[in-house]
Amino acid sequence: MNSVPEVTIHIDNQAFAAEKGMTILQAAQRHNIYIPTLCAHKDLTPFGGCRMCIVEVDSMRGLPTSCTTPVEEGMVIHTQSAQIRAVRQEILKLILSEHTSSCLICDEREECRLYSTTIRKAGVTTGCRYCSNDNRCELQDVVEHAGLQEIGYAVQYRDLPVEKEDPFFDRDYNICILCGRCVRMCQDVRTAGTLTFVQRGQHTVIGTAFHRNHIEAGCEFCGACVSVCPTGALAEKANKWDGAAERETITTCPFCGIGCQMRLQVKGDRVLGSLPAEDPLINRGQLCVKGRFCVAETVNGSQRLGRPYRMEGAVKAILSWDEAADLAAAHLAACAPEEFGLFISPNCSNEDLYVAQKFVRAAMASHRIDNSARLFYGAGFNAYLRLFRRSVPLAEIEKAPVILCIGLDARYGRSVAGVELRRAIRRGARVVTIHPRQHSLANVSHLWLQPAPEEALDLLRKLAGLAGAGKSLSTAFRPGGSLDANIAAAALLLRDASAPVFLIGSEFLSCHDAPEILEAVWQLAETANAGVLPLPAQNNLLGSILMGTFAEVLPGGITAADTERIRLLSEKWGTQVRAGVSSWNAPTMSPDERLKVLYLVGERVPGARSLSEFIIHQDLYPPDSRQDADLVLPAAAFSEADATCINGEGRIQKFAKAVNPPGEALPDWKILSLIARKLHVAGFEYEDVSDIQREIASVVPELEGCDGASRQERRLALRLDLPGIRSFGHAAAAQQEGIPMMLILGVAEHQYRGTSLAARVEGAAAIFPEDTVEISPGDAAKAGIANGDEIILRCGEFERAFPVRCDKDQPEGTLHGVVRPGQIPYPNPLSVTMRKRYVQSR
Amino acid sequence: MNNLETLRNAAKLQWEQLKNNPIPLIYVGTASCGRAAGALAILDAIRKTLEEKNLTARIVEVGCIGPCYLEPLVDIQLPGRPRMSHANVTPERARYLVQSYLKSDKPAVRLAIGHFGEDSSEFVQKVPRFFDLPMLKPQVRIVLRNCGFIDPAEIDHYLANDGYLGILSAFAKGPEGTIREVKEAGLRGRGGAGFPTFRKWEACRKAPGTQKYLICNADEGDPGAFMNRSLLEGDPHAVLEGMLIAAYAIGATRGYIYIRAEYPLAIVHLKKAISQMRAYGLLGKDIQGSGFDFDITIKEGAGAFVCGEETALIASVEGKRGMPRSRPPFPAIAGLHGKPTIINNVETLGTLPNILRNGAAWYTQFGVEGNRGTKTFSLVGKIKRAGLIEVPLGMTLRKIIFEIGGGTTKKFKAVQTGGPSGGCLSEEFLDTSVDYESLGAAGSIMGSGGLIAMDEDTCVVDLARYFLDFTQKESCGKCAPCRVGSKHLVEILRKITKGEGEPKDLAMLETLGDTIKRGSLCGLGQTAPNPVLTTLRYFRPEYLAHVKDRFCPATVCRALLEYRVIPEKCTGCQRCVSVCPTGAITGPRAKTHNLDASKCIKCRACYEICRFDAIAGDAIVIKSTRRASDE
Repeated sequence: MNSVPEVTIHIDNQAFAAEKGMTILQAAQRHNIYIPTLCAHKDLTPFGGCRMCIVEVDSMRGLPTSCTTPVEEGMVIHTQSAQIRAVRQEILKLILSEHTSSCLICDEREECRLYSTTIRKAGVTTGCRYCSNDNRCELQDVVEHAGLQEIGYAVQYRDLPVEKEDPFFDRDYNICILCGRCVRMCQDVRTAGTLTFVQRGQHTVIGTAFHRNHIEAGCEFCGACVSVCPTGALAEKANKWDGAAERETITTCPFCGIGCQMRLQVKGDRVLGSLPAEDPLINRGQLCVKGRFCVAETVNGSQRLGRPYRMEGAVKAILSWDEAADLAAAHLAACAPEEFGLFISPNCSNEDLYVAQKFVRAAMASHRIDNSARLFYGAGFNAYLRLFRRSVPLAEIEKAPVILCIGLDARYGRSVAGVELRRAIRRGARVVTIHPRQHSLANVSHLWLQPAPEEALDLLRKLAGLAGAGKSLSTAFRPGGSLDANIAAAALLLRDASAPVFLIGSEFLSCHDAPEILEAVWQLAETANAGVLPLPAQNNLLGSILMGTFAEVLPGGITAADTERIRLLSEKWGTQVRAGVSSWNAPTMSPDERLKVLYLVGERVPGARSLSEFIIHQDLYPPDSRQDADLVLPAAAFSEADATCINGEGRIQKFAKAVNPPGEALPDWKILSLIARKLHVAGFEYEDVSDIQREIASVVPELEGCDGASRQERRLALRLDLPGIRSFGHAAAAQQEGIPMMLILGVAEHQYRGTSLAARVEGAAAIFPEDTVEISPGDAAKAGIANGDEIILRCGEFERAFPVRCDKDQPEGTLHGVVRPGQIPYPNPLSVTMRKRYVQSR
Repeated sequence: MNNLETLRNAAKLQWEQLKNNPIPLIYVGTASCGRAAGALAILDAIRKTLEEKNLTARIVEVGCIGPCYLEPLVDIQLPGRPRMSHANVTPERARYLVQSYLKSDKPAVRLAIGHFGEDSSEFVQKVPRFFDLPMLKPQVRIVLRNCGFIDPAEIDHYLANDGYLGILSAFAKGPEGTIREVKEAGLRGRGGAGFPTFRKWEACRKAPGTQKYLICNADEGDPGAFMNRSLLEGDPHAVLEGMLIAAYAIGATRGYIYIRAEYPLAIVHLKKAISQMRAYGLLGKDIQGSGFDFDITIKEGAGAFVCGEETALIASVEGKRGMPRSRPPFPAIAGLHGKPTIINNVETLGTLPNILRNGAAWYTQFGVEGNRGTKTFSLVGKIKRAGLIEVPLGMTLRKIIFEIGGGTTKKFKAVQTGGPSGGCLSEEFLDTSVDYESLGAAGSIMGSGGLIAMDEDTCVVDLARYFLDFTQKESCGKCAPCRVGSKHLVEILRKITKGEGEPKDLAMLETLGDTIKRGSLCGLGQTAPNPVLTTLRYFRPEYLAHVKDRFCPATVCRALLEYRVIPEKCTGCQRCVSVCPTGAITGPRAKTHNLDASKCIKCRACYEICRFDAIAGDAIVIKSTRRASDE
């Protein structure tokens, strides 16, 4: 490593060494010399706005701000001279004259804190509870340091309305000190550009362009602005009155396959929220809206299950774990291998997944296990998994000269990748995006290839053909041309780039021709020698395959037809594992072949009652309907047990236990092991996760050291063939009455353990609409439809009603919506007829 | 084909033809100032007269020649006769002049205020030379030499008058030689701070990197200042040539003109001039075979005062919000897009061709040691001869105000130099030399050249409030001392003008002003308190009168005024009764009227009508009287 040249500086008559290029403030902080600051922040570029960090430097005129002034050899700096202290005090007074300040200089403020445990009561008692940031406010520290007793200036309260209409965080710019941290975070670090200074002089405030609300202004709700706000001006709705966290735990976000590292904020035995970790490998101090704002509400819901119970008719009968395991074992013992099925969420940890499949194969002597990734990826599952053979780490985005995004929208989910992408653009990378609709990359990419809904495959094949063409292409790079010209330009970029990177989003995964589309992507990647980042929606998709949670897949991601592997497993587990490939999977379950026991681990199956006599529901939350479960077992969330998972790059990462599970809830693997022991099956005597990790490593040699301690990514060779599911519904192209439209449906991807985040998290519904379709205002006007009206869409046997939302970005003649996995019609996109649904008024 | 000498010879020929005109020439000053005074209507009247009377003359639209108080100016030059200048022309007067000069044997020469020929000529009768007029005589016109003489829309006029000789001289000297010449000339930045131009240039030239930028700062935002506008409207090529010289010296290949959108005419002239330069091979690749590449882009500002500050200006050119940033790094090292950038003021650039053409030695004959050359000023306020002037540095304020400006209408009270960021100087400073150091020592600044003279009808508290209100509204909001502090200053001053001030407010103004000066990030904040601090220093009794005696000596602060009817003078004409909007004045005809102070809203209507429309003329008086303060 190159050592940075050092200089010697003198701060308050003491000599210190500092690195060249550092600011005075950084040098002082390194040597624990306190200089008050409000606008400076370690993650942000210097600003020099609050003027609190002014110092005297012997060789400079005026009072330079230490946060912006670089150190120089022999600099003599005074941080505490009488002049400095006086000017600082005066400036602080000015700042406070705009800021409600009773919690800063009120004589009663110490007594007031006695009430801080019942914070609302304090508001009632003292009448000054306007800010939620007591004890977390950086202004309090600075005022204390300055020893300010009174302000002296007339109060200049701005009297702005508090902005509460957007989800996730409130904005009270009356207590904003205009330090500009949020603006710099949004513009420089996130490069999102939602926030800016608006107006000037005394009317200067933070806001969006044209005063639009944050949703309309393109905010990603990453919460980075909230995290850096030194006052209570920006406050997270969900925990603003919860006070400061007591400790934090570094763990992995469970909401998608990027696997960001985050710091869970914990107070007592409760997760208050989550902040990004300074992880150099993946998210580098960033999170998306899911990781930042959806964690606490997902794990803290008031409906969380705390004790096992059985349903006796409509009555819940609370059971002890012993009784519950006995009941489950009794039903399972009386159940033949063909009369059983287990359906598990790919959000579960490796250990849970491994124990679940072992439970099926060793305790139930069956292969009947499946997980919902199969439903999500549908027909293109196999082709999708093949892309992982070319997978590269996320950090490659930073180096790639050309980046191709295929069906990717990085505004809410995957916004961490979006940040990397915009940074790449800033440093000069060329970005091409293929997407049928307006999306977050449309305005930042160099080329937007916008195929009509049915033309995506055609476009990709053309692109692959041109990129592979040997001779030079006649078309020069010229954005803004026709689609064909743009395809040629994109092909040229890809052909000439040394190592392009492809980012795969979810847009095309639900198309009926997804297998062919993904095949074309594969061909293109081979031709362009591209690294691929599939960015799966499930946090542990790779774990669910490598642990063997499919009927046709054994641990190690090996096909169940491999008799040698069957023999090895039998030997390791000390029981005879059934040979032969099972064709069973969850989507093929039907009331005609009713099961005796259906075991749902973190999954929900609509209409499950018709599929099985006895249903075990094991999850954080109760079943959606009382009929859907006979035995309900409370499971621990990702924040409540130590475990591991594998992200989309093939990196094994840790889930760290931050708090205890509620009540008697247990990790999934513990519950499964408990029941297995009740079934008198050997090999389930795990004391803790390290026992399971050792066993996984012995069965799957590639996963040696799979405790997540080393987060080295592994290129995982998946030796398997996982057939996708071709269609769930079908539609004949019969003409019906109504307006012909093209319907494009996507699969809801913002899910955790079988439930949409929108259902668990207040605010998420505003950004993750489900079961609604978007229509262009023109089409809506033609059909006489307004926002919120219902429409009926028909095509042959397919008939569904949807509420509509007018969206100016939706192309004319098309409808777009998001539905739960398993509800995609065939074909998709589908030609439908649309008519308004009239509700009879009473 | 674009050889400059060939082009110049052709231009000179054309210019000579114009000078030795076979047909009469009519010059109309149609810069913004002339237009505001009605020049376009006059132009229209002249054209119509020529058409109606079937007369032949050539109309030349020129820029501003300086004396605003004489606008609109129409000059007529008959073949073989000197050019005669007529002031304060109305359309009717213009019709008369045209007919008189073009049709009559005895033109109305006596109506002219000045001529541009020889006094020996019989034709001029007793009319003095234009430049012998008291306002113009003490002036030295270097930057403004072409303003009012050439058609700014004609590059040939500029070329014929030694235009673009400066850049050729620079090419001959080489970049280092050019910088040396500017150093020897002692040129200091005319934008306000007076930083030696060559020093910035040297830093930029030495800064590593191949891409460098030159920006012309034409964001003239001071209220009452119009030096840059006049120059850009009257002689755009002088500034553009200056840009060529500066860019060549520092090694810049791209230039920007950051000009406020409120100067539409200047923008039109600049655009035209730039396209003419391209056509003449003065922009683009390998300019005049020198190997120097340069091109210029115009960037219009959106009307923020702070964007005149270098770093804010750069942010604005980059498309960001115009907010200053801390220095170091200085723009000469890391400016536009992080590349070395020089920002020079319009006037600095306009001076450069003269220095390069005539040499540093010639330039240093003007001005005083350390403050060489001339400076343009907008001389405005309660002054008899307002206008744009150019004087050598080192001239006293007294000479500028009393000789050039003819003094104030009433008794002189103060002069504000440097616009809203400058200071207000009292009578005792009239003999101060106008140079960067002397003005700074007096607590004011040179600034970009606004000079506002005030007489005894100006209340300095109200003046300070006005300027602070301006800077406060134009604060970008970035740093707390400027954003919040200036707001408090305005509030306290407003309180004082309302008669609600207390003696301790004066101390607060001083502490606050000092905090803002020392604590602010950029020049805007650091100079914003100057009007308050200087008036407090030099006119403290007037502040004390406001806060202690509730008395406004200048009779300006409305809350401290009283309207009274002088019974002995009132003739009872009822004119004031008819205009009073609140019915405060009552009284029967021919009897002394009564003014009910409780109803009076001090709208001044009765005062005005009594003075101008009533028999008595001065029966109503406005007075501010000393009262004991409430305490």
